[in-house]
Amino acid sequence: MQNQTHRKAERNQLDGLRPPACDLPRLLAGVGFAISLLSGVSPSHAADLTVFAAASLTESLRTIAAQYQRETGDKPAFNFGASSFLARQIEAGAPADIFFSADEDKMDALDRKGLILKETRTSRLSNSLVIVIASDSLLVIHSPKDLAGSEVKRVALADPKTVPAGIYSRVYLEKHKLWPLVEPKVVPTDNVRAALAAVESGNVEAGMVYKTDAAISKKIKVAYEIEDNPDISYSMAVLKDSREPAAARKFLDYLNSEAAGKVFEHYGFIVKGKPGGGSPASGHSGGSAR
Amino acid sequence: MRLLLKNISLPLAEFAVEVDVELHSQVTGIFGPSGAGKTSLLDLIAGLRRPSSAKIQLNDTVLTDTASGLAVPPRLREVGYVPQDLALFPHLSVRQNLLYGHKPESGRNPLFSFEHVTDLLEIKSLAGRSVTHLSGGEKQRVALARALLASPRLLLLDEPLANLDTALKDKIIPYLCRVRDEFRLPMLYVTHEREEAQTLCDEILVMTRGRVTARVDGRAAP
Amino acid sequence: MTAEEWQIVWFTAWVSALSTLVIVPFGLGVAWLLARHDWFGKSVVETAITLPLVMPPVATGLILLKMFGRRGAIGGFLHDSLGLDIVFTWRGVLISLGVMSFPLLVRSARVAFEQVNQRFEQIARTLGAGNWRVFLTITLPLAFRGIMAGVMLAFARALGEFGATIMVAGNIPGRTSTLSLSIFQSVQLGQDAHAYRLLGISVALAFIAVWGSECLLRRAKP
Repeated sequence: MQNQTHRKAERNQLDGLRPPACDLPRLLAGVGFAISLLSGVSPSHAADLTVFAAASLTESLRTIAAQYQRETGDKPAFNFGASSFLARQIEAGAPADIFFSADEDKMDALDRKGLILKETRTSRLSNSLVIVIASDSLLVIHSPKDLAGSEVKRVALADPKTVPAGIYSRVYLEKHKLWPLVEPKVVPTDNVRAALAAVESGNVEAGMVYKTDAAISKKIKVAYEIEDNPDISYSMAVLKDSREPAAARKFLDYLNSEAAGKVFEHYGFIVKGKPGGGSPASGHSGGSAR
Repeated sequence: MRLLLKNISLPLAEFAVEVDVELHSQVTGIFGPSGAGKTSLLDLIAGLRRPSSAKIQLNDTVLTDTASGLAVPPRLREVGYVPQDLALFPHLSVRQNLLYGHKPESGRNPLFSFEHVTDLLEIKSLAGRSVTHLSGGEKQRVALARALLASPRLLLLDEPLANLDTALKDKIIPYLCRVRDEFRLPMLYVTHEREEAQTLCDEILVMTRGRVTARVDGRAAP
Repeated sequence: MTAEEWQIVWFTAWVSALSTLVIVPFGLGVAWLLARHDWFGKSVVETAITLPLVMPPVATGLILLKMFGRRGAIGGFLHDSLGLDIVFTWRGVLISLGVMSFPLLVRSARVAFEQVNQRFEQIARTLGAGNWRVFLTITLPLAFRGIMAGVMLAFARALGEFGATIMVAGNIPGRTSTLSLSIFQSVQLGQDAHAYRLLGISVALAFIAVWGSECLLRRAKP
């Protein structure tokens, strides 16, 4: 799919160019252009994109961005953090082109304030939760009920009031009637990676993070994999005040592509729906259909 | 009494105090212009400064001996000190100042009792007052009494009358004479006033730029 | 103001007061040493004490986290032998506040001690007072105003501490949530009214503490 987009870009460039005349500058420009065509790199101005993305997407997006830069020359830069915190920053006017949130609520909030380009909104990814403990921990966790046990004194969660990972964890624990027992032990952290770090440091007995987070850390081990996850849905959209809307849409399309999908799956994300074609799907998330 | 000030060497900013004397008089004056090192010498004897070399001995007690590394701390020397600025503790009352160094055992020697000292220097009525509201003469007597009430074996006085006008000086000198005669304490009396020295002291050391340049008789002489 | 908000104010106030109380003996001791003594490596000590004042608070917080975490040098010992946890508890808050406000206390107290005329201390020694008595009856009372100003300043600093605290203690509602941490979280949550209420209290408390400090300092000047 990216080949189509690429050639479309080239066609636009060719339309703008006159046949070389006798003066030297144009001749040189023409030669330069020809060479760059042959090397397959777009000679257009390389756009700098700013993507505000949930912390759990750190490694996958960096990998995708590197591929993207090799292919198109555009360079996405990332601001990773808790989706709630990022949303606040965007509301306060932070210069971002794309928002990639770990839940739909944060995107809804921006939508209500008219800060996103609705037609670019897609929900492609899902995730699952795991209970993690330090890799040298002797704790045994057979089920989430063990979190309520006396051996677990502190449980690290991304802030269960605001951060998607924490909210999902709380919803799950509420569903299993465990929240009143676990809540007094909760150490709320700024984002899901901070919860992971807290478990790694040994300062808490256990934590709940995404399966994808657990996969990238060697200092923890998964004690229990949650099966009946709440409806976890990542949402992405181009922001209305983006200064590079065309480049942003292009990157969003790439994020919906099969190549990007493979990268996400490699890191453990669940890719919903069909790998995208030319036009992104609109609207909110549906069920967690695979 | 015997006060040995042997091989004393104390470098100061511009010169060194170098003294080597043996004193036998009860009241020895140290006379000289200001800046001659007189106060520094008193500080040494009180144990408040460390000399580069010295042997200081009062009767049979060695107070300082750099050769053997001995330096008795000031609190154990029983050397009373009335400094030039009096240094009355501003946050304590007159009574608290007076009793600061007063050891109950010194009730042994009735001379050093609170009753006797305050009677002698006529400061009984000042006991409850604040130190800051005393007159110059009153402060002087309180500082003197405070040093005495600690039962010293040697009394150092640094220009006790320097800040007083003549009328006041005339009033205080009798008190000093009383102390001298009543307590029979060895005293070192620093002054830059010749008449004072001659009235009160048995012998006078003349100090210039840190050295004793002359020894003269005081009131012993006619 | 909700009950929860009052709980935050109360927690902040008592943990700041306690941390200030805890650092006073250490702070005064260090300040006194710096004011009265010289030793090899003194400048290193001076610099080390000033570090929390100039380093980014989160950097100091990180150092504390490493030291007092369950795997840290001190935290590990406390956890294994006493079952005591520091990180993510009010003790972590206490230590963060104490460390961050320590330099302010030391600096103020040092100046206060340096302003005490050493003559008073010396005379007290000649009157028989040992080091502790001199410190407690002369140095400390005379430096009291300046020291209290330093204590108020340290308290004010503790009230407003954020960077180190959030690293070491996190922001656990009802357990380690201080005023400054709550303001930060309220802003993140978009609860502006809540944030402004807490902000108002924060300003009021800081104002009172600093103003008190300035008053004391003004009266301490001779």
